[in-house]
Amino acid sequence: MQTFATEAIEWPDTAVQLREQVRALVAEHGEGDPVRRANCWTKADPAFSRKLGEAGLLGMTWPKDYGGHERDQLERYVVIEELLAAGAPVGAHWIADRQSGPLLLRLGNEELKRRWVPAIARGEAFACIGLSEPGSGSDLASVRTSARRDADEWVINGQKVWTTGAHVSHFMIALIRSEAGSERQAGLSQFVIPMDAPGVSVKPIIDLTGAHEFNEVFFEDVRLPASALLGEEGQGWRQATAELSLERSGPERYLSSMVLFLKLVRHAEAHPDPAVRDLVGRLAAEAWTLRLMSASVAAKLARGEDPALEATIVKDLGNSYEQAIPELVQAAVEMDLAGEEALARVTAYLLQVSPSFSLRGGTREILKGIIARGLGLR
Amino acid sequence: MNDTRRMLAEMADPLFAELGPGATMERDWPRIEELGLPQLLVSEADGGFGGSWEDALVVFRLAGFHALALPLPEAIIASRAEEGSDTHFLLGAFARSAQIAGALDAALGIAVAYVNERQQFGRPLGKFQAVQQSLASFACEAAAANCAAMGAAQALDRGEARFEVAAAKLRANRAVGIGTNVAHQVHGAIGFTREYGLHELTRRLWQWRSDFGGDAHWSKVLGEAVIARGADAFWPDLTARTDPEQRD
Repeated sequence: MQTFATEAIEWPDTAVQLREQVRALVAEHGEGDPVRRANCWTKADPAFSRKLGEAGLLGMTWPKDYGGHERDQLERYVVIEELLAAGAPVGAHWIADRQSGPLLLRLGNEELKRRWVPAIARGEAFACIGLSEPGSGSDLASVRTSARRDADEWVINGQKVWTTGAHVSHFMIALIRSEAGSERQAGLSQFVIPMDAPGVSVKPIIDLTGAHEFNEVFFEDVRLPASALLGEEGQGWRQATAELSLERSGPERYLSSMVLFLKLVRHAEAHPDPAVRDLVGRLAAEAWTLRLMSASVAAKLARGEDPALEATIVKDLGNSYEQAIPELVQAAVEMDLAGEEALARVTAYLLQVSPSFSLRGGTREILKGIIARGLGLR
Repeated sequence: MNDTRRMLAEMADPLFAELGPGATMERDWPRIEELGLPQLLVSEADGGFGGSWEDALVVFRLAGFHALALPLPEAIIASRAEEGSDTHFLLGAFARSAQIAGALDAALGIAVAYVNERQQFGRPLGKFQAVQQSLASFACEAAAANCAAMGAAQALDRGEARFEVAAAKLRANRAVGIGTNVAHQVHGAIGFTREYGLHELTRRLWQWRSDFGGDAHWSKVLGEAVIARGADAFWPDLTARTDPEQRD
């Protein structure tokens, strides 16, 4: 049994030059506060996103005809791992660049593509994903938000919840029941909904740190043209789940606490301690391994394969790693969590947000179920 | 996998499977020598196979997978470094990482087959979520050990590989803990018997975890190296290890 086929990764020749470009850009326009650098792909900074767009670092792999730059997938991988390792505030465009743009290019009609894709590549249009609903979390096939045909239009009613970035987004790609009376995975479609459409309202949900990252989104008789349907009517489930390898295996699944690891190294430089030294060694070994695993999935995706099982393994291991770091650091170093020292501030912040790491994008239990099925269980 | 490595695997796999944990030097070593495997890393000019560390990974991993009771990895390493030298210790750690990766995959395969077969409460054990989730964790650990061993092999083929081998051995060592624990737990009492072959893998895994540097040794080595370079160098160093040389 070999669950994770390994092979050499061919890193692009441009890797060094791209890293220098990103490092310079982050040094000039990035985030100074170490707490803001933690879990940075939830930190929205539209001005920073526009800088990336101007630098040609968004929509990197997309056709030039749609504002992209026709670079290869691993070149994009180099850029995003650099941004995440540096704690750059990439939250505004993250979902649009990672998922929504590629999905629109793959399935969207010309009108949708022209309207949104070039704007994403410029760092001017941001997206959110409408999946979860009040009665529909891990059990995603139970969505009830409905789309009803009315002559040439669709009329949307219902509610989404836990929608990250809805308040800074320009459009949502939502999974919606388009066939009345349909059950489970059948009768679902994806729609592109402009957030300024009449009848769409966004209500903040404040998280336990006091931050506003996710939202409730309500649809009240929202009227959309026929062209708002993304891909095929009734194929929403297949379309939405096909993108998951892309979403699950990226470097954001293990780098959310990298800034804290680096603070720990900085601390150890000044305060020699065998326990901290050993922890640094162990966490470094894990980071090195996870980077190879994540990049290996990216290389397979770039070749057009769908390494769904490997991607799920990367997310599960990566989330466990980034979630364990704050707890391990707290156990290894005496600190005043309410104090002003950077190490303590980042630890305190990550202790509070890290429970979300094994929830977002598929809970640990759901992921392990997928891995078990991949092993031939169930 | 390229053609050379596929050929190597096709040659070694059936032989190691046949010899396995019951192999003896007197009876079986000549068959290993017949295939020229101890000379895997010796150059063709010197009558060897002229293989790379990625080739060695294939052989070490299969030796681990089949719990081969012959000192083939030791013989292969001995062709590259003198026993007692730092390099020998490092190469030994690499070999054990690869053997651990193979043995974990084998133990995982046995465990999955067992829980799909064994019935309790009127259904196979593999239908129970608690059992599924344990085995999923095991699979993640086996995957990590395999990727780490591959990363170390590639680094050895490029040249300096102290960091990578240290990281791979430490990662593999940690996978041994979870892997052997779950493999035995899902087997129940039968896995604890001499008659059932699981121990041929798990007892070797426990041994290999300590061979050529246990967790404490490699975390100390890695921790010292990372701290000496400093926080600002960590990420640039990590990426420079895999990036192609810049062509001006």
